[in-house]
Amino acid sequence: MPEEQSQTIMAVDELQAIVQRCQILEEADFKGEDFNLFQVAGQKCLEDGYAAQLLEVIQNEKNKVIIKNMGWNLISPLVRCIFMYKQEDDKREHCLKILDQLAELCNPKELFLSLLEQIEQTSGEQVCQTVMLLLQPLQTVLLKLQNKKAYSVGLSLAMIMNQLTPLPVPYTKQQIEEDKLGLCQCCNAVVDFAKPFVNELVKNMEKSSEYNDVELKEELLKFCMKSLKYPLLTAQLEQLEGIEEHPFRHFATEIVDILWDIKELIPLVFLRHRDRSPHWENQEFAEMEQKNSADSLACLSYLIFVQHLGIACFPVVFSPSYLLQCNMTHIEVLLKRTEESMLSKGLDLFESCLLRMEDDSLLHQYLEFRTFINVPQDLVKVMTLCPIEHLRKKSLNILQLFIDKFDAEGKYTLFRCLLKTSNHAGVEGYIIKNIKDQIHSSLTKACDNVWFTGHHLISLLDLVLMLPEGAETDLLQHSDRIMASLNLLRYLVIKDCESDNQTGVWTTLAKIERNFLKPLHVGLNMSKAHYEAEIKNKKENRKEAHSSNTVCSVTVGGEKMPAMTTEMQLQVLHSALFTFDLIESVLARVEELIEVKIKAVMDEHS
Amino acid sequence: MRKRCRPHRRDGQAEPPMEREHRGGARRPGRLGWRGRAGALGARRRRQLFVWNPGRVAGGDLPGHSSLLRRSRGGKVRGLCKETMTTDEAAKGEGEVQAVALAERGEDITPARDRGVLKIIKRPGSEDESPMIGDKVYVHYKGKLANGKKFDSSRDRNEPFVFSLGKGQVIKAWDIGVATMKKGEICYLLCKPEYAYGSAGSAPKIPSNATLFFEVELLDFKGEDLFEDGGIIRRIKRKGEGYSNPNEGATVEIHLEGFCGGTRFDCKDVKFVVGEGEDHDIPIGIDKALEKMQRGEHCVLYLGPRYGFGETGKAKYGIQANAELVYEVTLKSFEKAKESWEMDTKEKLEQAAIVKQKGTMYFKEGKYLQAVIQYGKIVSWLEMEYGLSEKESKASDSFLLAAFLNLAMCYLKLREYAKAVECCDKALGLDQDNEKGLYRRGEARLLMNEFELAKCDFQRVLEVNPQNKAAKSQISVCQKKTKEHNERDRRIYANMFAKFAERDAKEAASKTRVKTAAEKPACEKGPETPGAKDEEAEGHV
Repeated sequence: MPEEQSQTIMAVDELQAIVQRCQILEEADFKGEDFNLFQVAGQKCLEDGYAAQLLEVIQNEKNKVIIKNMGWNLISPLVRCIFMYKQEDDKREHCLKILDQLAELCNPKELFLSLLEQIEQTSGEQVCQTVMLLLQPLQTVLLKLQNKKAYSVGLSLAMIMNQLTPLPVPYTKQQIEEDKLGLCQCCNAVVDFAKPFVNELVKNMEKSSEYNDVELKEELLKFCMKSLKYPLLTAQLEQLEGIEEHPFRHFATEIVDILWDIKELIPLVFLRHRDRSPHWENQEFAEMEQKNSADSLACLSYLIFVQHLGIACFPVVFSPSYLLQCNMTHIEVLLKRTEESMLSKGLDLFESCLLRMEDDSLLHQYLEFRTFINVPQDLVKVMTLCPIEHLRKKSLNILQLFIDKFDAEGKYTLFRCLLKTSNHAGVEGYIIKNIKDQIHSSLTKACDNVWFTGHHLISLLDLVLMLPEGAETDLLQHSDRIMASLNLLRYLVIKDCESDNQTGVWTTLAKIERNFLKPLHVGLNMSKAHYEAEIKNKKENRKEAHSSNTVCSVTVGGEKMPAMTTEMQLQVLHSALFTFDLIESVLARVEELIEVKIKAVMDEHS
Repeated sequence: MRKRCRPHRRDGQAEPPMEREHRGGARRPGRLGWRGRAGALGARRRRQLFVWNPGRVAGGDLPGHSSLLRRSRGGKVRGLCKETMTTDEAAKGEGEVQAVALAERGEDITPARDRGVLKIIKRPGSEDESPMIGDKVYVHYKGKLANGKKFDSSRDRNEPFVFSLGKGQVIKAWDIGVATMKKGEICYLLCKPEYAYGSAGSAPKIPSNATLFFEVELLDFKGEDLFEDGGIIRRIKRKGEGYSNPNEGATVEIHLEGFCGGTRFDCKDVKFVVGEGEDHDIPIGIDKALEKMQRGEHCVLYLGPRYGFGETGKAKYGIQANAELVYEVTLKSFEKAKESWEMDTKEKLEQAAIVKQKGTMYFKEGKYLQAVIQYGKIVSWLEMEYGLSEKESKASDSFLLAAFLNLAMCYLKLREYAKAVECCDKALGLDQDNEKGLYRRGEARLLMNEFELAKCDFQRVLEVNPQNKAAKSQISVCQKKTKEHNERDRRIYANMFAKFAERDAKEAASKTRVKTAAEKPACEKGPETPGAKDEEAEGHV
C-alpha cells in the first residue's frame, strides 16, 4: 500500500523536521506544541518499525538538549514496541538501546515519572516483564536524582511491590522452575535494584552515627517488610532438591541481609513490643500498620529461626524460653491462617523453638501469657479441622512436644485447659492418655510429683472420669474419650493398691461410680437398645428403603457424597454396636478389678 | 553477600587481640550507638588501659597462663599483639588458658554452689553499684566454645547487647553472672550446659551439652522505663512470682513508702482498687506501675511529676507542684478484676453505673487521669457488647454516650485534643445531634487550629439549640482566627504564586498526561485558599 508507506516515511521526515526546528531553539523556548509534535512523530517512527532511525536521532549530539527535555515522552510507545517484537529481533535491540539512551540523556525527574507511570499502568501477565525491563533505567535515573531521592526510591519500590502483589506465588518445585509469570526472577531483580541504595545508606551510616539518612532507611525498611509479607510469607522456602539456587531463598537471604545492613534486624525481632511507630496519630492507621507488620515479622522470625538466614550474626545468649515467648505471637499469627504455606511455617517455627528446649524445663508461669494458652488451642484446631493431612499429623506431634516441655504444674494446667476447650473427643482421648503417662511416671520415678498424685490429680480426674451429658451423652461421638478414660481408670486400679492409695483414686471411687460408671452403664444399655431397634427397623423396611428419600446429604471436601444405601447404613449401625460392646467389655473389666481389690482388702481386715 | 561482616571481621576467625578492639572502641567512642556516660567513660578507660598497663594487655595476667605468653610479655605492646594473638592457634590458646584458669580459680557464683557458673574478674568495675533485677543492662561480650571457636561477639556487631536482667531473657549463667558485676567491670564466665543451652543445644551454633566461655564487659545499666516516656523508672529489689499482674480494677494489698527530696512523707499498708489510688492519696503512677508488678515484688519507683501529684502538688504531704517522687512499694497480694469477657451484660450495666459515679467524682476534684480510667471502663465493657435486649441496649447506649462525652471533657482538660475529638466522634455516632458532643468537638478542633471544622461544629450546635450563646461567641472566635491564619498564609505563599503560575502555564501546554502521585504535593500548593486545603486534609482523619 503505497499510501501507507508514504505516510510512514513522512513520520521519519516529520521527526527530522521538528528536531531540526528545535535544534536552533534555546531550552526555555520549547513550546507545548513542540512536545506534542515530537511525541507523535517519535511514536509513529516506533510503530512503523523505524527504531533504528529514531535511535540515530537520539544519539545525535546536536539533539542532546531536545532529548533531555522531550525524551521522556517516548517511554510509553517504546515499552509497547519492545513487547511487540520477538526476543531476537533487531528492532527490539534498537528499542532497548533507545531505552538505555533515554535513561542517560533525559531529565531525571521527568523520566522518573514516566517510568513509574509505565509500571503503574501494567497489569496481569506483563507486570514482571515490564518491571524487569524498566528496573535498570529506573535505577540509573534514581541515582541521578538530586532532590527527594529517598522518597522517590521508596515510591518506586512501593509501586513495584504493589504491582507484583496480586500475582500468584509459585509454590511447588515445578511451578518455581517454570516461573510462568517471571515472579521469581523479578523479585531478585528488584533486590538488585535496591542494592545501590542500601549501600549508599550503609556508607552514610558508617560515616557518622549522627548523620543517619532516616528517610531512606524508613523506605528500605518498608520495602523489606512488604517483601516479607509478599511473596515470602506465601512462598515455599525449604531447600528444594535439584534447584541449586532457590529463587525465593535467595530473595529471602537478600532481604534479611538488607535488614541486617541497615541495623534493623535485631530491633525488629526483639524490640517490637515497643511502639515502633508513635508518629501515627490516627489509631486506625497504627492498628493497620501493626497488623500488617505482624505478618511480616512472623515471616522474618521463620526465616531466622527455621531457615537460619542471618543467624550467623545473631546473639547467642538468649534463653530458649525467651525465644519461645518472643515467637509465640508470630506462631499465633501463622496458626490462625488457613493457607498451607503459612500454617506450615507456623508449625515449623513452633517446632524449632520447642526443640531448643529441654523437656520439663518450661515454667508453668509462662501459661500466664495469653499466647501460651491460645496457641495450643489453635494447634488443636489445625489438628482437627485442617484438610491437609501432613499438617494435621505434624500439629499433633508438636502438641506432644509442647506438653513435654512444661514442668509438672504446667502440664497439669495445660491438660485442664485443653480438656475444657478442645470440644473434640479424639483430642480429649489424647490428653487423657497423656495424663495416664504422667501418672505413670510419677508412680514409677522416685521423685515426688504432687501434681499427678493426691488431691490435684483427683480434681483433674473429676474432669476426665465423667460423661459430659450424663447417661444421655452420645457414646458413639465420645467413644475415643470414653475408652481413654476407662483405660486410665483401669491403669489406676491395677497400679495403685488401695492400701497405698498414692493417686487418691480409691478415696474418690464413689464419685467416679456416680459420675462415670453408672451413667455409662445406663447410656450403654440405652444406646444398644436404640441401635438394635434401628437395625431391626432397617432390616424390615429394606424393600421400601430403596425409594426412601434421604433426610440429609453429606459433603466431604466440597464433594457431595452419594446417598447411603441401606446396606451401608446397616454396616454403620453394626459398627456402632461393636463400639458399644468394646466399651462394655472394658467397663466390665474395670468393675471386676475394683471389686476384686476391695474384696481383698476386706478379707485382709476381717 | 557477606560484605557486611568485613569491617568487623578483619580478624576473621582468629581471636582478635583484646586491645585492638579496645583501641577501636577508644578511637571512635561515638560509635557505640547508645548514649550514656559509661560509654564514654568506658572508652577512655580502655585507652588508659592500653597505654598504661602493658602487663594486662594480652588479658594474660591470669595465673596459670601459658609460658609462651609469659615469655613474650616483656616486649612492646604492639609487638606482643602481633606476635602472639593474630593466629587461630594463639586465639585458641588464649581461650583454653582462660578456661583452665576459670576452672581452677574461678569463683562459684551459683546460688546452688554446684560450680555451674565460674567467674574471674579481669578488670574490676569503676563504681560499686551492681545492676538490679529488671534493669536494662548494656554489655559487650564474646562467647567461645570449649574448642576455642568463637560463636558470638557483640563487638562483631559493633553494638552493645542490651537485655533486661533477671527476667529469664538470657541463659541462666548470664542472669546470675551479670547480676554480680559492677559498672565497668570485665569478667570471664565459664558456664556448664545446665546453665546455658543444655542437652538441646541451640541450633545451628551451640552443640548439645556445650560448656560455654564468655568474656563480658558491663558498660552500663539503668532502671526499667515502664512506659518508655521516662515518667516511671522501676528498680526491682525483690522479684515477684510468676508473670501475671494486677489489671485495672484489681484489688491490691501493698506496703508503700513515699519520699520527696530525701524526706519520707508517707508510709502505710493499704488495700485499694487499681485506678483508684487517689482515694488513699496515692498518685496515679503507682496505679500504673502496679499493673506491671507481680505478686510479692518489692521495688523502687521514680515518678516524674506527670505520674506524681502533678501541677497541683499535695498540700497534705507538703509537696510542691511538679515534684519528683520516689516510692518503695511491695505488692503483697492482689485479686484480678474480671475481664470484660468474664462479665455478663447485667453485671456490666450495674458496674457501669458505679464507675460512672466514681468518674464524675474524680472529675469534679480535677483528677482527670483517674476519671479517664473510670469512664474508660464503661467503654471497654459496653462498646463491643452484642445481643442486648431493647431495654439493655438503651441503658448501654446512654452509659456509653455519657462516658464518651465525659472522656472528651477529660481529654480537653488534659490537653489531648486528638483523643477528645475521637471521643466526640464516638458520642456523635450514638447521637448525631448531641449538643455537648458537637460543642466539645468544636472546642477541641479550635485548640488544634482547625478553625473551619470547629466553626462547622459550633454552627451545628446552633442548629440544635439556637439559644446556645457560648457557641455563638465561639463562632466569632473561629472567624477571627481563620482570618489571622489566612493573612499569615498569604504572606508565605505570596512569593510562590509567581513561580507556580509560570510553571503551571508551561506544564498545561506541554503535558496532557495524568500527574502521578510524586508530583501532587508540589502542585497542590498552588494559589487555592488555605482553608479549603485544611478541610481536605481533615477529610480522611
